[in-house]
Amino acid sequence: MKRIDGSAGAGKTPGAKDRIAAIRAGHRATIARAISEIEHGLPAADALSAALRPFAGHAHVVGITGAPGAGKSTLIDALVREQVARGKRIAVVAIDPSSPITGGAVLGDRIRMGEAGMAEAVFIRSLASRGHAGGLAKPARRIVDLLDAAGFGLVVVETVGAGQSDVDIAALADTSVVVCPPGLGDGVQAIKAGILEIADVLVVSKNDQPHAERTKRDLDDMLHLRARREGWRVRVLRTTATTGEGIPALADALAAHAAETGIGRRLRASANVTGDAMVAKLRGFSERDPCQQHNAIVFVDAGPGHATLSMRVGKPHLNFNGKCHGGAIFCLADSAFGIASNSHGVVAVGIDTHTTFQVAASEGDVLTARATEVSRNAKLGVYRVDVTRQDGAAVSAFTGTVHVTRRPHETDAVA
Amino acid sequence: MDIRPKVLITKIGLDGHDRGSRIVAAHLRDAGMEVVYTPPWQEIPTVVKLALEEDVDVIGISSLATDHLIVPKLMAALREAGLDEVGVIVGGIVPDEDEKMLLDAGVARVFHPGAPLDDISRFVTEITARVRAARFPA
Amino acid sequence: MNKPLPDPIPASTDEAGIRWSAEYAAQIGADKAVENRSGIPIKPLYTPLDVDPSRFDADVGFPGQAPYTRGIYATMHRGRTWTQRQLIGLGTPPAYNARLRDILGQGATAVSLIPCNSVFRGYDMDEVDAELLGTCGVVCNSAGHMATCLSGVDLAATSCAMNDPSPFTLLAFMLATAKRRGVDWRSISGTSNQSDYLSHFVANHMFFRLALPGARRILTDHIAWCNENVPRWNPLSVVGQHMQQAGATPAEALAFTLASALQYADDCVAAGMSPDAFLPRFTFFFDISISFFEEIAKFRAGRRLWARIVRERYGAQDPRSWRFKFHAQTSGVDLTRQQPLNNIARVTAQAIAGIFGGLQSMHTDAYDEALSCPTQFGARIAVATQNILREEAHLTDVIDPLGGSYYVESLTDAIEEKVVAILAEVEAAGGMYRAVESGLVQRRVGESALRFQQRIDDGEQTVVGVNAYQVEEEASARPALARPDAAEMRAHLADFAAWKAQRSAAAVENSLASLARSAQGDGGNMFGAVVAAAEAGCTHGEICGTLRRELGFGHPLIVV
Repeated sequence: MKRIDGSAGAGKTPGAKDRIAAIRAGHRATIARAISEIEHGLPAADALSAALRPFAGHAHVVGITGAPGAGKSTLIDALVREQVARGKRIAVVAIDPSSPITGGAVLGDRIRMGEAGMAEAVFIRSLASRGHAGGLAKPARRIVDLLDAAGFGLVVVETVGAGQSDVDIAALADTSVVVCPPGLGDGVQAIKAGILEIADVLVVSKNDQPHAERTKRDLDDMLHLRARREGWRVRVLRTTATTGEGIPALADALAAHAAETGIGRRLRASANVTGDAMVAKLRGFSERDPCQQHNAIVFVDAGPGHATLSMRVGKPHLNFNGKCHGGAIFCLADSAFGIASNSHGVVAVGIDTHTTFQVAASEGDVLTARATEVSRNAKLGVYRVDVTRQDGAAVSAFTGTVHVTRRPHETDAVA
Repeated sequence: MDIRPKVLITKIGLDGHDRGSRIVAAHLRDAGMEVVYTPPWQEIPTVVKLALEEDVDVIGISSLATDHLIVPKLMAALREAGLDEVGVIVGGIVPDEDEKMLLDAGVARVFHPGAPLDDISRFVTEITARVRAARFPA
Repeated sequence: MNKPLPDPIPASTDEAGIRWSAEYAAQIGADKAVENRSGIPIKPLYTPLDVDPSRFDADVGFPGQAPYTRGIYATMHRGRTWTQRQLIGLGTPPAYNARLRDILGQGATAVSLIPCNSVFRGYDMDEVDAELLGTCGVVCNSAGHMATCLSGVDLAATSCAMNDPSPFTLLAFMLATAKRRGVDWRSISGTSNQSDYLSHFVANHMFFRLALPGARRILTDHIAWCNENVPRWNPLSVVGQHMQQAGATPAEALAFTLASALQYADDCVAAGMSPDAFLPRFTFFFDISISFFEEIAKFRAGRRLWARIVRERYGAQDPRSWRFKFHAQTSGVDLTRQQPLNNIARVTAQAIAGIFGGLQSMHTDAYDEALSCPTQFGARIAVATQNILREEAHLTDVIDPLGGSYYVESLTDAIEEKVVAILAEVEAAGGMYRAVESGLVQRRVGESALRFQQRIDDGEQTVVGVNAYQVEEEASARPALARPDAAEMRAHLADFAAWKAQRSAAAVENSLASLARSAQGDGGNMFGAVVAAAEAGCTHGEICGTLRRELGFGHPLIVV
């Protein structure tokens, strides 16, 4: 009987200190556990996501959407096999609907992804859409970032394409594929109503069935009415996943789209992903701040009264002892303090800070500063900033006080 | 933390009768759990890779025709993959002599024909709490 | 349950009937709705008002004549009783042969060979986990193994059932053995018991061996080849047992089985065969659950429906085409691990239902089946149960003894009505092949299985020793475990390796190449090529492997 080696990449879960390294090295168990932390919304997940963010941006993220029964799973199975043959490392995040009543779900996509799923280069994770109050968009994004940082060159996100949450998830993708089973006009009409708009590549699945030709023609006709998407001409492909027909062409089309329009779209425009203008504005503060840019400080997340930034310790951050300079750590903490205190729409200026240094950081470490609001009134605001290392060690504790002005931010005035 | 159990329901070995595993999967789903379900005849390395990547709390193995005899092999493979804490339950036709052998190999519990479905879901919830506590210490 | 109570009061104008209705209502207290497994409401009393006497000829009639409700032969069990066919299979071929001779000596009258699950999966013994070899069936991978299994059995005189899903290598091995012994293939009788690939697809996933379209092709070839070369062989057994064991209600099991049979008949007709050439060799295989009257009604309705449908749909002229011949097995699902000796009583009740239902051949389960694969001790009691029922209990004195019972006739009609509705549903889905391909059947069967289990869990259905009447048990009541002898199995493996090394590699290669060509569609009969390969010394795994490569590996369709 065929023996498939699936245990490679396994082994004992590493200690916290080596987690980032383990994830970046593609250690399956560590990646899987980290995804669980994100799914469960554990506090550790925030720091981890922040620490991994600087390593993301290399993966081509492909969203594959289509109604249940459209043939997504079979298509993905065939596509994954093709990509493995092309030497790629692939991660698949398959999102299944949960029962709205019990919250239970059967994550059945594993079934048809069985064979491709066993390849060493492949990592597949099912997610139930379940009771994520704010939808799956945020955890899905973090999971994609994590898999990107783990070195998977291709990350496929599969959704059923129903509802706003799915559209948000699809927005994570650099390339969106919409799968349409052959059918009469009705089916096409249904797709047109929603998810067709996001497609970069349309796949008519089950090309061996009647009406495939007709479905392709309908889709071609429809596309004539549409503007090009970022200069990309939307393609309609026909596949028969069971025989592999059309799968290489699909892989080629995905590569062509990535080459033309680039990858890492979600990282460039994360504000659009969450739909939160506030985040965009606060991100802008960080990205326009010459001192933060000079110190390679990366914006992770922010909102009213809080901000999270991270920084990978590089050579320029080191002191004469070869450890991270206290000033660099202070700079990170102070930057988070600045953004958190300026998150209420008016200018706040720092008037006093105190900081301690508990643990040293070395080159290659990723530090995360999380600023939270302790108190705030019309004149004064007090903030606390915790700087942690990727292993969770507390590097620095910082407190700061701001004077709150009545002046709006200049960007708002301009707008 | 969301303590909704994530359970892998599968069959290893040679037998294909899956009435039991399908009933249990449907029941656990209706009890609000997330169930990763596979067809029968999974290879042990496949089950390990699945359990690892999906980070399941519990693995349920259905065995009607002596396939439980290779469950100790599965237990060893899980340990080797670092999945020591995952809870493994076996359901189906398991003779008394073999039940002891399975428990010695680290199986958490064996459910025999006639076990009420609620007992199974209650036990799954119970071991999930234990697994989660081990994996995510507060 | 929120279903309305069936009206307990028959609308009788008869005075006694009215009085009974009143007394019943006064004395019964809170009457509970009763429903059988098929979802048919059951009244407390059936009277002449429940049957239409003018329909006697059309619906009941006489045994051996249309409508065949009472039996397919004029004599039924008063003449020849049923074939006592115990499913056995354990360990190595010599161990199987010893057990087979024991059972034949105890009163069994036919062979039924169940192979090891590795054979069901399509692999040779050197391709699977050695721990599992022979634990549930005999490890039979070659013509030589089959010769040992059937050593001392007169192949021309003994009906042999081979539990042999496509590509039917066990039959091929048996034919090779027969040829070597100089037995004419035209004298060989028996049944390809697991040839119904659709039921495997639904229930056991044996289709995993070959993809659906490939399994479909080889079955049609198998039927055509057997009709021509082994004319007394039944190449098809349509297996309602798989459906019912997987959770279908008795009515669903009957409906899906008939729908499968119609699919196979349609395929044979499409391949150019004449209905009267193949229908006489169609057989059925059913489960007998402990729902006593429901099972009897199921079999009676099945006979009536089949006889009608084959005439209406195919214009079958030969009365042998109309006969609904079936083997039945007592249901393992009803057996309990708790107080296992109680299973002897269950099997007895199930077997009586099968006998009253008019079966042609029967397997009674051993009482220890819910504990392990049956032991020799358990198998002997199962055989004795049949002997007692046949020769002590006077069950066979009268043909269709429940015929004319107001209840049984009415229930037969009700089952028929349910079945006809499901058949229409399957037909609307494009026939059984499409209905299975799309998962419609699996979904229904899965829902019924869950509903049945919930009824037990909720205490609506009593199961003695499980949800009622539990007792402290002594482990000594449990039978000793039967496992193949490890040393014998190691020797069997070593012999297999040695034999493979010394056979003609060229002959094996050539016949596998010719099998591959026939699978690619060179016009030859694929099963003919399987038989040739078996004769040339190819193994089961080699034949299955070749066809899997050519015809595709079956992908499961799981509906939870």
